[in-house]
Amino acid sequence: MNGILNWILWLPILGALGVIVTPKAKENVIRMVTLFTTSITLILSVLLYLKFDTSTADMQFVVKFPWIEQFHINYFLGIDGITMLMTFLNALLFFICTLSSWTVEKNVKAYFALLLMLQSTVFGVFFSLDFFLFYVYWEVMLLPMFFLIGIWGGENREYAAIKFFLYTFFGSIFMLVGIIALYYASGKGVDSFNILALQGGKFVNETVMIFGHTFSFEHLFFWFMFLGFAIKVPVFPFHTWLPHAHVQAPTAVSVILAGVLLKMGTYGFLRIAFPIFPQAAVDYSSIIAWLGLISVIYGAFCAMAQDDMKKLIAYSSVSHMGFVMLGLSAMTTQGMNGAVLQMFNHGTSTAMMFLLIGILYERSHHRWIVKPDGSKGYGGLSTKLPKYTTVFIIGMFASLGLPGLSGFISEALIFLGIYQKFTTITVIAVVGLLIGAAYLLWMFKRMFFGEVNPETEEYDDMNAREVFYMIPLCICVVVFGIFPSPLLNVMKASVGQLVDLLAKF
Amino acid sequence: MIQQLFGFLSYYIPELICIVLMTTLLVLEALVKEEHGNRGKIIGYALALLSITLIFLFKNLGEAPVYIFHNAITIDPFSTLVKIIMVLGTMGAIFLSYSSKDIYTNLKSEFAIMAVGVLIGGMLLASANNMLTLYLGIETLSILSYVLASFKRDESTSTEAGMKYALYGGLSAGVALYGISHLYGVLGSIQFVDMITKLPGLEGTNLAIVMVSFIFFFVGLGYKISVFPFHMWTPDVYQGSPIPVTAFFAIVPKMAGLAALVRVSFIFFDGGSLLAVSWTGLMLLISAMTMTVGNVTAIGQNSVKRLLAFSSIGHVGLMILGIVTLNKAGVQAILFYGIVYMFMTLIAFYITSHLSDMYGTDSYDVFKGLIYKHPGMALIMAAVLFSLAGMPPFSGFVAKFNIFSVIIEKKLYGIALVAAINSVIALYYYMKLAKTMIFDQADGDVKVTGFTPVNQAVIVALFIPVLFLGIFWEKVMTISGNASLFIK
Repeated sequence: MNGILNWILWLPILGALGVIVTPKAKENVIRMVTLFTTSITLILSVLLYLKFDTSTADMQFVVKFPWIEQFHINYFLGIDGITMLMTFLNALLFFICTLSSWTVEKNVKAYFALLLMLQSTVFGVFFSLDFFLFYVYWEVMLLPMFFLIGIWGGENREYAAIKFFLYTFFGSIFMLVGIIALYYASGKGVDSFNILALQGGKFVNETVMIFGHTFSFEHLFFWFMFLGFAIKVPVFPFHTWLPHAHVQAPTAVSVILAGVLLKMGTYGFLRIAFPIFPQAAVDYSSIIAWLGLISVIYGAFCAMAQDDMKKLIAYSSVSHMGFVMLGLSAMTTQGMNGAVLQMFNHGTSTAMMFLLIGILYERSHHRWIVKPDGSKGYGGLSTKLPKYTTVFIIGMFASLGLPGLSGFISEALIFLGIYQKFTTITVIAVVGLLIGAAYLLWMFKRMFFGEVNPETEEYDDMNAREVFYMIPLCICVVVFGIFPSPLLNVMKASVGQLVDLLAKF
Repeated sequence: MIQQLFGFLSYYIPELICIVLMTTLLVLEALVKEEHGNRGKIIGYALALLSITLIFLFKNLGEAPVYIFHNAITIDPFSTLVKIIMVLGTMGAIFLSYSSKDIYTNLKSEFAIMAVGVLIGGMLLASANNMLTLYLGIETLSILSYVLASFKRDESTSTEAGMKYALYGGLSAGVALYGISHLYGVLGSIQFVDMITKLPGLEGTNLAIVMVSFIFFFVGLGYKISVFPFHMWTPDVYQGSPIPVTAFFAIVPKMAGLAALVRVSFIFFDGGSLLAVSWTGLMLLISAMTMTVGNVTAIGQNSVKRLLAFSSIGHVGLMILGIVTLNKAGVQAILFYGIVYMFMTLIAFYITSHLSDMYGTDSYDVFKGLIYKHPGMALIMAAVLFSLAGMPPFSGFVAKFNIFSVIIEKKLYGIALVAAINSVIALYYYMKLAKTMIFDQADGDVKVTGFTPVNQAVIVALFIPVLFLGIFWEKVMTISGNASLFIK
């Protein structure tokens, strides 16, 4: 079983090679190769889940080879409870995205090859336990995204692709400085790029001099890491790239972006920023909480003002990821568990929303709730598209946190966790939930009820393929809403270890 | 005595081969009957001899340093590795000149003659162990460069480039010589070994004179490697010169000048003396300004040659940071950067050259929609652009990582931040070109010619190290590390 992470990591690359050698005209073969690869990856990740030992917080399925011995850089992979969930989410969403991309017509070969490469790099980010390897994957991930948004995106795709790329690169270059500084601060030894060995508050007493001023190493470089991850999450005020990237990206890429790529940011806090700089994390937890709160409220208000439904969901992601930041800043067992659970649940529910928007877009070729000229974009969809409406209701209510569906549990846990620490913030954040319910229900009302818009009369309901790929997400949303323990059990030990570590500071 | 002399010469074989090559090329060119006849065989001969030079250089790479010609020249692994980079760069430029329309057919072998001449000057500069050899190296390198810049003699831009280069170069060489003569006046010798023994005892006026003289001396080298504020000539000369010449200028004189700068910095400025501190402070300032000016100016360009000119200014700014630390890791980082930079620059100029031969211009427009016209070359060009910007998994990232690593080891966080922000700016303008190639639709259905199978094979061969060194870079790092051991 030890090589299974290698298989999951490199299988998509093999699949991409398979796509590349397939002749361009055989588009269906290309789609089948991609589907085959992503389904094998999904099966492997389910296997991984079954073999996963939930009783320990240690890294499992570890693979470690020396890569650059001179710098003590290793090819070092492993997963714990948090990454186990992310691995499953990543495998699931790419499988679904392959199916939802079946209708992509433009340059099919390059599209699916890039999609598979993207999957591999995302796995790489989650598996890497070597800082250098992590950084390489973190950066390489930008390349397929850049091309996927820039070639297959909407009208303003070039601007969106460049903005996305530059923003993330700006954050990560600061992270690189931080990584190298950590390497030297830990004495250039065998474990200086080993993320696990750097954890535990080893740099509390280090200082650095910049332009004649002395700073605490920990408190300074926490912000370097913070910048890299906060842009990815995105936390207010670094969120401005997100609406552009989401609106311009093709459906599947939006799903991946909201579903797993944003989670890389919060994952960075969980794996790197918090455990390596625990003192700074504790000291700055109120700043993180306030930024999270602003993201929640501001994102929700922005979402309410949108007439473009994809932009609306994009801003709702800012709001929902703000909840994750709130949960992280609580640093209590409930808060952290809630945050990780919210990462998973937001991944499934927001993926549903983006897929549903994509399905509707394929029929209407516009995404306006209210068109720029003031007329209604849709109306009365519920009478014409019953299946679509049903799935939409499930996704929407999961998203706004209706009890019984997945979003509720994670948000409730986050509030439980944070209430003990920041009471005011909790009270204000609850308003965010209310606004969230308001904009989603308002959108729903304008699109699905009321008079039937003559333009929408001839739309077909969801076809078998679309129903098929929505089913797994519906199951996730419903089952984990009632019965979240399969997820909570997996992450319990790992989250507990982090909470214990932070409690010492 | 004679045996001793020949013993010395055995280390000098690479340079001797180049000299023989240059002179025989002159004769061979005179033998060509028709003025517009094919010079393929002559070019082939030049490339063959340069390959032999490479073999001897690789042989020298493992040897301990020797000092020959009464200590005027040192053959150590450092200079040898720089020479390898320069010979490869020269071969690349000569090969490119064969297919480029920018170099007229009857001038193709003359280009090879001049390029080899500049290479000899560069080799001299890289090996220089006293001030006189160093100055000779600068001049040999420069005078032939002026001719190269004005190679397209019926075009005013090229003539202007040659003129500008000659004026700036002449002036800067004069200033450098002025500095050197004062150094000789104060220190009483032109031999590096003798000069350094006098340095610690200096005080008062003499120290001030030496400081100023070193700055004057730096002006001469600064022009060659085009650092701020001596970079003004670079864009015009790069744009006016034929593309193979530009590719050549971006590699050979730069590497030679950097090598000389590294050697002088390491020999004269050791430890924490006042001189050393002010010199590294100067280098820090120069590096920060060079990077920032080069990268910011590159944003607005619409000519690929000018873009590469400004980006090369930015890269040199980053490389100079390896000097600031005055340790072996710094030299190692510079050498690795040099190797990677040479490959990336060659590929970028190769692809630009073939496209601009076809369209007659080098504006961004010729790259429009290249992905649809020639996907392979467009992908390689995009990869090289991302590599130049320092994106993993390409070798440009490793080069950048090494430079960052040495400056952060010395806790120079301020300059690390400047370099970090600069690499974001650099990414932006490289991405603009990548965007033109891949996202924009091509105007019309023009087939791209010029990428003959041989040219494509060469580009792919040059691309392999760019990719390979991004993942398996340990071996080359070790070689660079060994080469930096004998710097003093």
